[in-house]
Amino acid sequence: MSASDLITRWRYRLIPDHLVGEILTKRWMDNAIPLAIMAVVACVFASLIPDFFGAATISNLMRQWGEFGLVVVALTIVMVAGGIDLSVGSVFALGNIVALGLLTVAGWPVPAVVAATLGCGAAVGLVNGLLVGYLRLRAFLTTLVTLIIVRAIVDMLLLNYSVAIAATLPDSDIWYFFGEGNVLTFPFSLVVTVTIALALHLFLSRSRVGWHVLAVGGSRRSAHNVGIAVPRVICATYIISGTLSALAGLLFASRLGGGGADTGVGLEVAALTAAVLGGNSLGGGRGSAAKAIIGSITVIILINSLVRIGVSSGANSLLLGSVLLAAVAIDVRWLKNRHKITSKVYVSPTYAALPTAPSTDGDSPYALNDRLRDVGVIGLGSIDGPEDVILDSEDNLYVGNRTGDIIRFLAPDYSQQEVFAHTGGRPLGMAFARDGSLVVCIGGMGLYQVRPDRIVEKLTDETNRSWFSVVDDSRLRLADDLDIAADGRVFFSEATVRYETHEWAVDCLESRGNGRIVCYDPNTGLTRTVLKNLVFPNGICMTHDGESFLFAETWACRVSRFWFDGPKKGRVEPVIPDLPGYPDNINRASDGTYWMALVGIRTPSLDLALKMPGFRRRMARRIAPDEWMYPNINTGCIVRFDESGRILETLWDAGGDNHPMITSMREHKGALFIGGIFNNRVGRLKLEGRDVSWTGPSSYWAKS
Amino acid sequence: MRMFGGATQEQIVLVLALLLGLVFAVGLPGFLTTSNILNLVRSVSILGILGVAMGLVVIGRGIDLSIVALMAVSVAWTLQLITAGTPLPLAIVLGLAFSLCMGAFTGWLVAYVEIPAIFATLAMGTLIYGFGRYFLFGLDVINMPDAGRPLLWLGQGTLLGVPVPIFAFAGVCLLAYLFLRYTKSGRYMRAVGDNLLAARITGVPARPIIMFQYVLSASIGHLAGLVTAASVASMNTRVALSTYVYDVILVVVLGGIGLSGGKGGIRNVVVGTLLIGVLINGMTIMNVQYTVQNVIKGVILLTAIVVDTIINPRDEQTAQQGDI
Amino acid sequence: MRLLKSCLLAAMFALASGSAMTQSFDDPAREPYYESLKGKRVVFVPLAMGFDLTEGWAAGLRRALEPLGVTFEIRDPNWSTDAGAQAITSLITEKPDLIVAHNPDVQSYARLLKKAEEAGIYVVQINMRSSYSTDAFVGIDYVNMGEEITKRLVSRCSPANGGSGKIAITQGVLTAAASAYQMQGISNVLANHPEITVVSNQSADWDATKAKNIAATVIQQHPDLCAIYGFWDVMDVGTAAAIKESGKDIYLVTEGGGHRKDCDGISNGDFSEVAVYSVPYQTSDMVAMIKQLLQLKQAPGTTKTTLFTPLTFLTKENMTAASCWDLP
Repeated sequence: MSASDLITRWRYRLIPDHLVGEILTKRWMDNAIPLAIMAVVACVFASLIPDFFGAATISNLMRQWGEFGLVVVALTIVMVAGGIDLSVGSVFALGNIVALGLLTVAGWPVPAVVAATLGCGAAVGLVNGLLVGYLRLRAFLTTLVTLIIVRAIVDMLLLNYSVAIAATLPDSDIWYFFGEGNVLTFPFSLVVTVTIALALHLFLSRSRVGWHVLAVGGSRRSAHNVGIAVPRVICATYIISGTLSALAGLLFASRLGGGGADTGVGLEVAALTAAVLGGNSLGGGRGSAAKAIIGSITVIILINSLVRIGVSSGANSLLLGSVLLAAVAIDVRWLKNRHKITSKVYVSPTYAALPTAPSTDGDSPYALNDRLRDVGVIGLGSIDGPEDVILDSEDNLYVGNRTGDIIRFLAPDYSQQEVFAHTGGRPLGMAFARDGSLVVCIGGMGLYQVRPDRIVEKLTDETNRSWFSVVDDSRLRLADDLDIAADGRVFFSEATVRYETHEWAVDCLESRGNGRIVCYDPNTGLTRTVLKNLVFPNGICMTHDGESFLFAETWACRVSRFWFDGPKKGRVEPVIPDLPGYPDNINRASDGTYWMALVGIRTPSLDLALKMPGFRRRMARRIAPDEWMYPNINTGCIVRFDESGRILETLWDAGGDNHPMITSMREHKGALFIGGIFNNRVGRLKLEGRDVSWTGPSSYWAKS
Repeated sequence: MRMFGGATQEQIVLVLALLLGLVFAVGLPGFLTTSNILNLVRSVSILGILGVAMGLVVIGRGIDLSIVALMAVSVAWTLQLITAGTPLPLAIVLGLAFSLCMGAFTGWLVAYVEIPAIFATLAMGTLIYGFGRYFLFGLDVINMPDAGRPLLWLGQGTLLGVPVPIFAFAGVCLLAYLFLRYTKSGRYMRAVGDNLLAARITGVPARPIIMFQYVLSASIGHLAGLVTAASVASMNTRVALSTYVYDVILVVVLGGIGLSGGKGGIRNVVVGTLLIGVLINGMTIMNVQYTVQNVIKGVILLTAIVVDTIINPRDEQTAQQGDI
Repeated sequence: MRLLKSCLLAAMFALASGSAMTQSFDDPAREPYYESLKGKRVVFVPLAMGFDLTEGWAAGLRRALEPLGVTFEIRDPNWSTDAGAQAITSLITEKPDLIVAHNPDVQSYARLLKKAEEAGIYVVQINMRSSYSTDAFVGIDYVNMGEEITKRLVSRCSPANGGSGKIAITQGVLTAAASAYQMQGISNVLANHPEITVVSNQSADWDATKAKNIAATVIQQHPDLCAIYGFWDVMDVGTAAAIKESGKDIYLVTEGGGHRKDCDGISNGDFSEVAVYSVPYQTSDMVAMIKQLLQLKQAPGTTKTTLFTPLTFLTKENMTAASCWDLP
């Protein structure tokens, strides 16, 4: 290995490039920019204002935020459902004046005041909701008008009662507790708002109605078409928004106790600013309680700090406007370009040097021949992509197809086919369990079994989460092939944790150890990852000793053996380190050796490219995926080898007529059944001199 | 129901305005006099001019919430310059130039940075007011200096017995109508508002057109500002922080220009302005208290929208997503 | 050059003071006076900056206090009661020595000002009082002002003197002390004058545009309106414009701090009469109160002083060039 290769290798081993892409795809990255803006704003003002983080300051800030945050949360609920509520500021003022009026002028007890105030807010919300939800008025215009009407009503109330309100000081401890009290050192309003925000979060993310709200915001038309009561959902959001705004007004009233005419003027603008700054989109479809909180904290820090710094009112507005513009501009650009960046940096190739490929000429065990020329075809043109083939003890043939079915070809002539079971995913590797159930790896879904009575059951679709993995590797994305140990444990390979089933070829471009082997134990029901960082692990086959299995790593072109029991438990040993092609499924042969499919043959160009990760990364960034360099999977072969790794025979289809592309094969009663993931047929080859009574199920389960 | 089947919002509002006018004419002595009608139109002509500016932007599927702030600041600066001794024409040109620059910047933010218009203009309104207060003038209210007296004609003068603001309104309406109807950029603007992507694919320079909308609204806004300043002999920049811009939007949308863009024309603005004018004038004569006036105004506006929605119901299947 | 000049000056100053020292002829009151003010921090929380009253007060306070080593700051809530409350709340934790508060209404700051005093901060209220009395209040006696202005309107508009007896009132914010107390004064006088009718009494929120709308309304309703009583000159620019547009002769009394624009307004006929509470006068009252509080060093809230500003009426007849003041 040359020095430059060594440097490249260590550079790619030490610097985890792939994490960048993985972090970018995380859901919470949606909030990253708003959060960063909030942090920057907080830091800037903390450095400008002495004692910014002082206990009293923070406490004051939190109390004010409590009221403001509540209004933003109220607005967010409406925005998430695709509407907008401009009347929040006026309802806030209404809540303020109604609460004060009832408390001081009418002399009501505090609980009644709270109930009546919330009722007022809900009533305004109901009007908005009826108009926007049921009559389908435009939200912007409608709430603009209710803003004006409610503001005018507030003005009228002020005209009549403000002097009386100013004249009396309410005499109630609960009332002052609302405005000045603390719950466990936190201001009351903060506790209220955090509680409500938490409730909103649970509501939106965990409840059926919450999902309806999100669905209506995401696409009102589709929500209508799937039968969601769109008017009712929309109406409800406005009622909630009105109630919460009135609650915020009540808290404001209890804090200041003044019926000023400017109460809540322009609050809708500040709240809208906060909601958008937090990342809630206008027009619905994107929004959460967390976004509302982030946005409102940013805005309250901005407003409060600008007053505290004591800049003149002009500079105040100037700064506020600039910061808001800058923040939203960054957020907009980020949203727009995030997936572009992600798609550019997600593919992150690493250094992979394959051993020299053995020759396929002359007297090499891999030498070309034409033994597959005479392969017979089953189901030509009526089967789409049989990745794996398997036969049961009654000689029936089972194959998966691209549309998610498991097709059964009936013995003896296999001319008749039926859908044995429908899985819904992409059925890949298959194996028969002791009880005759067909255990299947289904790409995109996980590990399933089809019982003899054709009932499809999930065995497992998740494993333990790795501690330091950025992508969530607990879900199974691409379960590929499996085999079953004598005690019933199912060992199956998951080819890659970084790509979905349909992107499997991109994983080759990376050639990193993204795959793993997972064990599902039906006795305990537990699923555990047993081997990690494998380079596209694919075929798995139990050896005859009952303590180990062979597994193939496709992009590493090697076959290894892993002991899961016995004295060598936990060890991995290489069996064939240098294959001329990319290995796929491995299955038992009748004489104690193993069949293995090579899905494609290595090419010098790709072998070279694998040693040049920078080249592959540039390729992934600069040119369209259709133009990328992929492994050759058009021509492959079948090899038979023994446990020592010796190649015993090789079967080629040099003519390329019947079966050039091979991903799997099964020996059954002296014949070899061959599948290929892009084929439209299943091949059958009569083998010479094999045990004509040997079947797979008997080899596994006959003894017991 | 069928009788109104084909009625557009514009027609409904027009009918409503005429009905109200009829009721007032019968019930209120002095409503249907020439001087009162002139007073009626004069009182809403500034609102109408701003409505035309806003209408043009809304037709292009934008919204300009900074229009009032920009008008206040640019005109206040003009007055400030005049006070400081700058010749009157130069001061007006400088104020207009400031307006155009700010309008172009807003347009750039919307068209190129792709900040949603409602938000970009909201923030720009705050920013422009702050900029003006910090750099251009120190007080909230700038009085018209003596050197600016000739300007007063624009707001307080009359021509052939008709107040000048009415001519200003009529002139702006006519120019805007011709612009939308006959110029290439006017038609492009409507195309961009109707379907941005389709317009872009057909080769319309969508982004420059969007930018142009805001420049246009800024320049019309500057004119409205001059008329305002002339009519009260001062410019109160606090109007930038008020809810006046909502009234402007109401005029536009009430007349039937949909916020989803592409629809409507100058006629709609005129009709919307007319209804508001009749309403305010009638209530003034009826001695309705200012706060109560707002309630009545709001309720009638709401009625207009509701009637429109009942007659032209929105179809769940064809409603545009994200159209708030 | 400038550096050289200031060096020279400083040197001369040092010499002069040195020679004074040698005479050792010192006023015993000087040291405690300067000591008591040096390093103190005074914060002004106005309704908003940017209009004549607050700018005048701020400029006056700054001019008087800063040479004495007092730090003078402004926290500008820009017309937002909530922002003002936030400012005072954060000031309570920052503990300046004295807050000059300009209340938006009688209630909103009341509890906060009480808390500020409890936290050891002197509070001087300017022009608009809250329902809680603090160490000092400097400002106009609004009840008296209401009475005085109404008396003038009564004598002008009374049918006995040939008026129509109809007056309109344009208030500011209804809850502001200015409005509440003036209304008290107005009704005190009007109770004895049933011949005067108040045809309109509305709130314009200190906003000229609203004031103009209201005035236009009232003038159309009552073409024989005799006078309009406005509560603030800045707002009544709008009222004046409405009167001008109507072309009627309506007597407009407004009130203000005696800024140059009041004189301008009178000379160009916008205002008929302006009731003036002199801003420079109020400023020197405030400065006196601040100096007293800081020198006495009593606990905040021990004494409650009220200093009412004398009321003067400015008309075309009595107006001179010195009647009004200019911002620096």
